[in-house]
Amino acid sequence: MYTIFLFELRYRLKRPATYIYMLLFLGVGLLYGSILAGGLGPEPAGILTGGGKNLGNSPYSLHLILISLAQIGIFAVAAFMGVPVIRDFEYHAHELFFTKPITKLDYLGGRYLGSLLLTVLVLICIPLGLMIAFAMPYAIPEKVGPFSLSHYVVPFVMHVLPFTLFTGSIFFATVSLSRNNLFIYLNAIVVIVLLSVASALTSELDNKTLASLLDPTGSTAFTNTTEYWTVAERNTRTLPATWITVGNQAIWAAVGLGILALVYARFRMAASMESGRASAPKAAKAGAMLRQLGNSVTLQKVELPKVRLRFGMGPYLGILRRIMRQEFRWVISSPIFWAIVGVGILLSVVVLVFGGQLFGTPTLPVTYQVLAQLQGQLQLFILAIIVFYTGEMVWRERGNELHEIYDALPMPTWITLAAKYLAITGVIYLLMAVVMLVGLTTQVVQGFFTFNFPMYFAALFFFWPINLLIFSALAFFVQILSQNKFLGFFLTVLVYLGWTLALGLIGVEDNLASFSGSPGLVYSDMNGYGHYAGPYLIFKLYWGSLAAAMLILGNALWQRGTGDSLRDRLRSLGQRLDRRGQIALGAALAVFLGTGGFIYYNTHILNDFQNSREAQRQQAEQEKAYSRYAALPMPRITDVRIAVDLFPKDRNFDLRGSYRLENKTDSAVREVHLSFLTGVRYRELALSRPAERTLYDTVMGYAILRLAEPMLPGDTAELRFEAEYRTRGFVNSGPNSQIVANGTFLNHYYFPLIGYQRDFELQDTDLRKKYGLPERERFPNIDDTAALRNTLFANDADWIGFEAVVSTEPDQIALAPGYLEREWNENGRRYFHYKMDSKMAKFWNISSARYTVQRDVWKAPDGRDISLEIYHHASHTYNLERMMEGMKRSLEYYTEAFGPYQHRQVRILEFPRYQGFAQSFANTIPFSEAIGFIADVKEGDVDYPLYITAHEVAHQWWAHQVAGGAVQGFQFLSETMSQYAALMVMAHKFGPEEIRKYLKYEMNQYLQGRTGERVEEKPALLSENQLYIHYNKGSVIMYALQDYIGEDSLNAALKRYVAQVRFQEPPYTTTREWRRYVDAVTPDSVKHVLRDWFDEITLYDLKTDSVRVDSAGGAYKVILTYEAKKFRDDGRGEETEVPVEDYVDVGIFAREKTDGEWKPVPLYFRKHKLSSGVNTLEIPVDRKPYEAGIDPYNKLIDRKPDDNTRRF
Amino acid sequence: MQLSIRNLSKTYSNGVRALNNVSLEISTGMFGLLGPNGAGKSTLMRTLATLQDADSGEVQLGSLDVLRQKHEVRQTLGYLPQSFGVYPRVSAEELLDHFARLKGIHDRAERAARVEALLRQTNLWEVRKRPVGKYSGGMKQRFGIAQALIGNPSLVIVDEPTAGLDPAERYRFHNLLSEIGEQIIVILSTHIVEDVSDLCERMAIIHRGEVLVQGQPLELIRGAEGRIWEASIEKTELEAIQQQHNVISSRHFAGKILVRAWSEAQPAERFEAARPSLEDVYFFQIKSRELAAAGA
Repeated sequence: MYTIFLFELRYRLKRPATYIYMLLFLGVGLLYGSILAGGLGPEPAGILTGGGKNLGNSPYSLHLILISLAQIGIFAVAAFMGVPVIRDFEYHAHELFFTKPITKLDYLGGRYLGSLLLTVLVLICIPLGLMIAFAMPYAIPEKVGPFSLSHYVVPFVMHVLPFTLFTGSIFFATVSLSRNNLFIYLNAIVVIVLLSVASALTSELDNKTLASLLDPTGSTAFTNTTEYWTVAERNTRTLPATWITVGNQAIWAAVGLGILALVYARFRMAASMESGRASAPKAAKAGAMLRQLGNSVTLQKVELPKVRLRFGMGPYLGILRRIMRQEFRWVISSPIFWAIVGVGILLSVVVLVFGGQLFGTPTLPVTYQVLAQLQGQLQLFILAIIVFYTGEMVWRERGNELHEIYDALPMPTWITLAAKYLAITGVIYLLMAVVMLVGLTTQVVQGFFTFNFPMYFAALFFFWPINLLIFSALAFFVQILSQNKFLGFFLTVLVYLGWTLALGLIGVEDNLASFSGSPGLVYSDMNGYGHYAGPYLIFKLYWGSLAAAMLILGNALWQRGTGDSLRDRLRSLGQRLDRRGQIALGAALAVFLGTGGFIYYNTHILNDFQNSREAQRQQAEQEKAYSRYAALPMPRITDVRIAVDLFPKDRNFDLRGSYRLENKTDSAVREVHLSFLTGVRYRELALSRPAERTLYDTVMGYAILRLAEPMLPGDTAELRFEAEYRTRGFVNSGPNSQIVANGTFLNHYYFPLIGYQRDFELQDTDLRKKYGLPERERFPNIDDTAALRNTLFANDADWIGFEAVVSTEPDQIALAPGYLEREWNENGRRYFHYKMDSKMAKFWNISSARYTVQRDVWKAPDGRDISLEIYHHASHTYNLERMMEGMKRSLEYYTEAFGPYQHRQVRILEFPRYQGFAQSFANTIPFSEAIGFIADVKEGDVDYPLYITAHEVAHQWWAHQVAGGAVQGFQFLSETMSQYAALMVMAHKFGPEEIRKYLKYEMNQYLQGRTGERVEEKPALLSENQLYIHYNKGSVIMYALQDYIGEDSLNAALKRYVAQVRFQEPPYTTTREWRRYVDAVTPDSVKHVLRDWFDEITLYDLKTDSVRVDSAGGAYKVILTYEAKKFRDDGRGEETEVPVEDYVDVGIFAREKTDGEWKPVPLYFRKHKLSSGVNTLEIPVDRKPYEAGIDPYNKLIDRKPDDNTRRF
Repeated sequence: MQLSIRNLSKTYSNGVRALNNVSLEISTGMFGLLGPNGAGKSTLMRTLATLQDADSGEVQLGSLDVLRQKHEVRQTLGYLPQSFGVYPRVSAEELLDHFARLKGIHDRAERAARVEALLRQTNLWEVRKRPVGKYSGGMKQRFGIAQALIGNPSLVIVDEPTAGLDPAERYRFHNLLSEIGEQIIVILSTHIVEDVSDLCERMAIIHRGEVLVQGQPLELIRGAEGRIWEASIEKTELEAIQQQHNVISSRHFAGKILVRAWSEAQPAERFEAARPSLEDVYFFQIKSRELAAAGA
């Protein structure tokens, strides 16, 4: 065995390929290491590590990156583990080996171990590359912690080695047993499938353990184990060896070994893998043949029938068709092709069934959704098919040693390449037809019959194939240049990733540079492909012409005959490219340059080309130039009158209007400063008082009007403006999707803002440092009196009067906050005049689309009729009832709980799915078509159309009545309180069990969210625009709070609070004031919850160690031993244990079967005052218990919620 | 039809000089190209078959410039490479039909007739439905010749066609080649002397990229008349004899060793005059060239 082992090693070490792979992986390690070390700037590093205080070489980052890179290592594994045995067969060396006196074990063992060692040596180059990168001078010191060898060794041993053992064994086994190269490829598919299944399962919360164990790469186990790690933990902890992390890798290593055992059992040291039985008749046949031959040795006259040979374009095209059909048939008759397709479809169906979810609730299978899912799932499979079969086709003749015959055939070289490319095209279209079938079937199976056939055809037979065909050309080109097929596979993937992903990582965002780049293609039921289609096609024409050029060059470089090396072919390219080739190449390049120029003109000249770095730089410059004006006294807006003319088809609009300004400060205002969006060009921007425009900076969007006479405190003035927004050509990425053909949704940012806007400054600490900006606190302190004079809505207004006239195309309805005063037609346009009859926040939208309207009325307790309206896309009628009900239930509950509704109307306006949120404006709620409108709410699912509606309606109180000051905690007052309000609406409709389901999701989101914190986690009442706090944690603790102090008394306090602060003038309210009202209704016994949950960051570790029941004479006594711990986090991940003296739920449950399902029935449920450490409770119950524990409903924040209860 | 090769030279990038100033005149009929392994035969064949370029020299086929008008040459060419593979799982009949189509036979009926005739001629008709990949060496070789003849070639190049064939198959092969070789040029490269002596009207011996001699086999044999001497010796004497005489071949025969030497006069008493064969000419030429190379 040792000899074979050495033979394998020596053979490999002599091959240059081995060193090429080593260098490649060293390079990969170096590249990723450099990114992690900040060598390419802080943002790419942040993408990989999470940024902020995360270190590039933290044990966490290194472990994660090594797990990911081990997957790239599959290429090395395939090359080294798949090839050794088949090599013997290819070079017919197996006869030599098999006749030598070596045993099967020697042969296989030696080959296997030799290859494995080599593979490991190659893979070790990845951590080596990483190490080198962190020692480079360009590493940013703050991103690099002290070196520790164990941080590299642990992940390598724990994950890379077992994974290699597993995948390597599969490759070794399938190829040894089948003696067929094709299987090398199939293995990659197996691994991808396991990966995808694992990740699909992970999304189902309950299956995390299973998913962790199932994922052979170990990344699921890793993520699940570390999901709640804070930055401090990531920087210091190595992955603990739990039964999941070790078990997962042990399972797959064992599977690998099992496969090896199978190889040993099945492998035959014989020339053919066919069984001995078959050889007997074969031999007989051969004998018969010989006899026959022997009989015919006498000379005879040879007569061959005459044939006519035809050459020329017609016959050549016939030949082309023939080769194309042949290649196509070979692909579709290959079982592996259908295996890949089948697996891909299976996987996408799984995802389609579980996928498309929001809060665990699926959306309806509308066509774009189904197609987006299918495309997302199948893209990888289809690219893989293209890469694979392109390689097969390019190497078909050479690989089968048929090229000497083939290349001497009398047809032009281009016929071959053209035929093969067309065959791939055929395969792609076949796949598209399959995708369509799967899509339609999915829809039918789910009982959805509104098929969007035009979209099916456009997406599957036009837009998507274009992209795939461009990619195919690249794959052909790379294979033609490659030395062999396997290197070609690897190079194709490498070139593709390098030309797309890697470019993005180093900051190149220009779609003229990134392979097959385009601004993307988004379909919306409301707006179709809209403004995306044109630019997409132009970009694809650009890349398509490059693809054509690659094919033409590839044809010239196509190896025909036996002589020329690639270098020779490249050198003689001039001769190889004949006149027609030159013309074709010239034409392709002309189109490439022409469209490139046209695109450049559009994206760089007509529009400002800004990649994100330039945008940041500009942000920084703006701050440097104008932040010094931040403290100047400015007048505030008190009244807004605007007129907007929308031209949806051209995506233009005109706006004009006036603001009434008042100097509410106690000093004189000498200058009025204005910030505005640079895309809006002002024709007029003037004050009603004499003033001089001393600055008008259209690059950064800043203007200064110097008043001839200062505005004294209390003085008023009028700002008049007239401007236009014009869409010019198209942009590189992220086109303006707010003004579109159908579904315009503009907000107040398109209108001038008074004064310098701190909101526009760069926030990220790393970026501020990079651009030389001073450190700034993320958010104004709760005691910042200046900031307290502004609300979340604006720093240039308090409450305003509002009036708008909006005109649009005659088939559209235009909307703005306020009530419709008048509607008329004029000059072929439709006009709407809206006026708000009470004061409102300075926060408005202008919407316009071809709407269908659903109306209803809700009667307020004071007898007023509140009209309810949903403006929706005609076909999106699925959830209108839920939304209507949501509005009614919300108005009902909020009026009762928080006080009266300030308007006489609530309107929901659907807008296209370019953005996926809902937002509350005065009496107006724009709501994305992506959420809610197409929800498929089934029995037992979270009714999220209703939930989101309830949340947005709640904002009419919590934001539009109670506007917190723009300091720490202000989102608590708007978002957390709206979450709470919506939760209560849900709780009353669906009962607490549904809410628990939802809160489980929120708890998980919070615990994961805090791990991504880049600066500091804040307590709930001081949250600084931290979504995971004000949405997720907020929901959990507010729901628990009402449970602890009672819904009614909490609401009573809130009602008093709202009555006190609604529509208040500055200084605005804060969470401190809110807390005083709540504190007043909180009993002393549970005051700890306010402190622990709202003022501090507290995490519990609650656990039931054991449960026992003593039954005597029909009485049951439960003896429950629990362990309770409580930790306080300082916001940076440092935790200290604090004593538990808290009231916590204790529950004992029996179980009963209702409707065929076992359901827990509480036998005992009360809050007990628990203490730290291990303690025992004794509780009598009157029935046989099934399960018991502390905090069984997971009201408290606990990273291990599953061990709270135990079964008897 | 005449094939003239003039001053053809080719040196590979690794320094191997595969063809050195090769000039040959080949006319209709069978032409044998004889040489040991590595003599440059395959390089010459591939160059003639348009698969490879030469560094210098000219090749003219009738009015065609072979090195430049590759496409036109391919239209009249039949080529059987030294070794070849096939598409897996494709039957002989399908594959031959495929090649026929690619060769330019577009009429379906003509193609079918031609395919059938060739399969019958090569005795593969019975096994036409079997994949060529599963054929034995001889069957595959016969398939190879069938594909070389599929398209009415006027130049057929067969590179080492008889390697690995059993005697019966070889005869059959010879028969087929000589029959078609009556009207067209057939170039046969081989290292087996009998292939040439049995079949070819004209031949050349090639070694180390150079043409050592060319002519008609019978003439070449006649040229050796009176120069071939044979002796039966003991095994122990071999070394001494080889040093003393110009021994061109030696072989075991009936427990002794039979040596043949080239000499203008009787080399020694124990040598007797022998009838020359083409093999003698071949061995003499190779040996002389080797000696010259060693001397130089």
